[in-house]
Amino acid sequence: MANTIDAEKAVKISSVNGIEVYRINTEKFKTSSIHFFFQDNLTRESVTLNSLLPAVMRRGSERYPTLGDISKQMENLYGATFDCGVTKKGERHIMQFYVEFLSKRYIPDSVDSFKEGLELLYDIIMKPALENGRFREDYLEQEKDKLRILIEGRVNDKMSYSVDRCLEETCKDEPYGIYDYGFVEDLPGINSEALTNHYRKMLETYPLQVYLAGDISDGDTKEVLDRLSGLKRGNMLQLGSGFIEKQPDKPRYVTEPMNVTQGKLCLGFRTNISPQSPAYTSLMVYNGVLGGGIHSKLFQNVREKASLAYYSKSMLEKFKGLMVISSGIEAKNKDKALDIILKQLEAIKSGEISDYELGATVKSMETSLKSLGDSQLNLVDFYLSQTVSGTWDNLTDIIDKIKQVTKEQIIDSARNIKLDTVYFLTSQQDGSGNGQEETGNENR
Amino acid sequence: MKIDKIEYDKAGEVLYRYEHSSGLKAFVIPRKGYSKRYAAFATHYGSINNEFVIPGEAGPVSVPDGIAHFLEHKLFEQKDGSVMDKFSALGSNPNAYTSFNQTVYLFSCTDKFDENFGLLLNFVQNPYITQESVEKEKGIIGQEIMMYQDDPGWRAFFNLLGAFYSRFPIRIDIAGTVESISKIDRDTLYKCYNTFYHPSNMVILVVGDEEPQMVFGMIEAALQKKEPIPEIARIFPDEPAAINKDYTEQSLSVSIPIFQMGYRDNRSDKDGIEMLMHETAVKLLLDMLIGRSSALYNQLYSEGLLNSSFDADFSIEKEYGFSILGGESPDPMKVKERFCQAVDEAKSNGLDREAYERLIKAAKGRYMRQFNSVERIAHSFISVYFKDVNMFDYLQVYDKITFKYVEEIFKEHFDRANLAMSVVKPV
Repeated sequence: MANTIDAEKAVKISSVNGIEVYRINTEKFKTSSIHFFFQDNLTRESVTLNSLLPAVMRRGSERYPTLGDISKQMENLYGATFDCGVTKKGERHIMQFYVEFLSKRYIPDSVDSFKEGLELLYDIIMKPALENGRFREDYLEQEKDKLRILIEGRVNDKMSYSVDRCLEETCKDEPYGIYDYGFVEDLPGINSEALTNHYRKMLETYPLQVYLAGDISDGDTKEVLDRLSGLKRGNMLQLGSGFIEKQPDKPRYVTEPMNVTQGKLCLGFRTNISPQSPAYTSLMVYNGVLGGGIHSKLFQNVREKASLAYYSKSMLEKFKGLMVISSGIEAKNKDKALDIILKQLEAIKSGEISDYELGATVKSMETSLKSLGDSQLNLVDFYLSQTVSGTWDNLTDIIDKIKQVTKEQIIDSARNIKLDTVYFLTSQQDGSGNGQEETGNENR
Repeated sequence: MKIDKIEYDKAGEVLYRYEHSSGLKAFVIPRKGYSKRYAAFATHYGSINNEFVIPGEAGPVSVPDGIAHFLEHKLFEQKDGSVMDKFSALGSNPNAYTSFNQTVYLFSCTDKFDENFGLLLNFVQNPYITQESVEKEKGIIGQEIMMYQDDPGWRAFFNLLGAFYSRFPIRIDIAGTVESISKIDRDTLYKCYNTFYHPSNMVILVVGDEEPQMVFGMIEAALQKKEPIPEIARIFPDEPAAINKDYTEQSLSVSIPIFQMGYRDNRSDKDGIEMLMHETAVKLLLDMLIGRSSALYNQLYSEGLLNSSFDADFSIEKEYGFSILGGESPDPMKVKERFCQAVDEAKSNGLDREAYERLIKAAKGRYMRQFNSVERIAHSFISVYFKDVNMFDYLQVYDKITFKYVEEIFKEHFDRANLAMSVVKPV
């Protein structure tokens, strides 16, 4: 049983011209999938272009010139899924395109679903619908408008908005503080020529990773390699990950007023531990003890004992070296909640970690890692993330390392962590500021 | 112990089934090669069951809104502390959810399945509720309710249900209100528990790489009640046949109007398979009329009236049914108008047969894809189970369904008189 959880390990098949191809071969799923990840550094100049590009590309290709044509083809392929978009990992901005389809053995007719799926994805990425050599104006203008709506729509989900905003405030003078979907103010200046040039730049210079997951034959793999070998590539862009160490003297306090029923209190921290450091494993366990589940100090003290919140949790941002604590509370309880939260951090620092807290944390992390292999998308993300962090561990190794973490190592991690920013989203009448920074008069 | 093994060759799946003397039915769906194991213990009791007859009592009793969900929270509390902590110590993930007509307790784990399963079987059968802990829970659930008050999609949904129904309790938020939960006490929680948590009103499902013999053996040993009880009398208010209103709106801090609209479905006399047929037909119709490949969606998308947040779905139970189409739009009324036009055109010109053939293929593929995920399997199984069918019956539905049947359902469901719309507007 010991090695079954690594049965779905990603294997690097090829690495040429800044294109890496990985294969995750498993028959346990009913579907297979193909993923393309083009990577850029997250910068103010390219963020909006990067974000607009997949949005326009998804509108049509040479062979499937409209959204409707693409949808029909996916329906014909027994409900295949195609999607694309952007995400950030640390200070990398990643454009992803993927297609997932029923594996050949479950297709009732003789359709070669891998071939068809690859054909569709390849057509969308390599042969977009152009007019006079440029992206179609109508698609561009429509997608600019949709991107504006999407960016403005960030506020609609208060929980994720508050966490993102907290981390943006924490990194406000660093590239990580840039919102992955870009800026509304950039949109009017982007014309189809600029976007087409940007597209060529992506194809030629952005490092590309391709993942093939599911029931993938050698023939399927060869088909992908053959196609990629014909791609014209130039000088590859050099990528960073954005990790930095920082020791703020005192936290910044930021209050954002909004018409909300529930306040969201988020704390942004610098972990000062890089994902490549051996101490990173201790940091993961630290985060688990602090706010990584129902056994954690935050859940037990903010929710269960004080009844102040329905949720209170902590999460790591691995690549950049950040941690965020978030809770939904009544605005009038802000100081009380902040006090209880900070006490939990102090408690870990002073070694108050029970055997139960440590044991439950380690077991729960083990469960999550073992479960990773049960989802194709999570598996792909796991390996992609490791290429960003510059690590290449398999699941069994990570679990072994987690089990060896001691209380002393957790305390060491706790000492490295520094509170950077306290962000509070609150209703207009409770907000003492008007979107402004408050002067931090608390000496924590 | 009698175990039935049912093979579904088309899906490459097997279902094991066992019935306990108390009337409880239990199922195992094996997942070879998966690390995760998932178990659910569910009762046919949800937020809409706020009036019923307690077995052995003469008259009906009314209970505060949100009590099924409140009970879900309280059941995790045991004499020696929260059972959550015991699951946590095993590294597993316990959870629970309450919907309109069911309450589901579950866990997932990758190790020590039998210990986890033992905990689940035990705590769901043994409530330990004190008045003090009830008071404390009101703070936590109060925050949960407030969290949902800021969720525009959730608000649009419940406002739409309130437009569909004048009295039927589906119109009330599952968690109730801060006011209604203030009236909940220990005794009422026990009354609800004693009525609805009898094994004959419940089901157990295990998805994962476990031996059915072992799973059913543990159930046999753990179930405390051995005799079935008669059907529970669930009482619902008389609901007028017509919708309550055709439009409702609310303001929240959102960036763009968020809308949901749909048709209330009054056909509630169907048996299980018919309900699945009906559901599949309406979903196909929604795809044909305004799905991603339809002319209408593509036009509205190009004109900026819809974006990719748009989605459509259909729900049907014995007591209620409705379709919902929703998303973000600068002009929801226009979307409604254009949709109604497309429905009228299809009514006079007929439905697109080619689209039907393509979409049924897509529906079959999407159905198969669910089997990738342990959670999805469990969720699908439980969500249809109390209609007296199981998720594998969709295989029959895909064989049986015809274009002609879909045409009939089209005429029946898409009736302008049953159409309502709910909009959440920016402040």
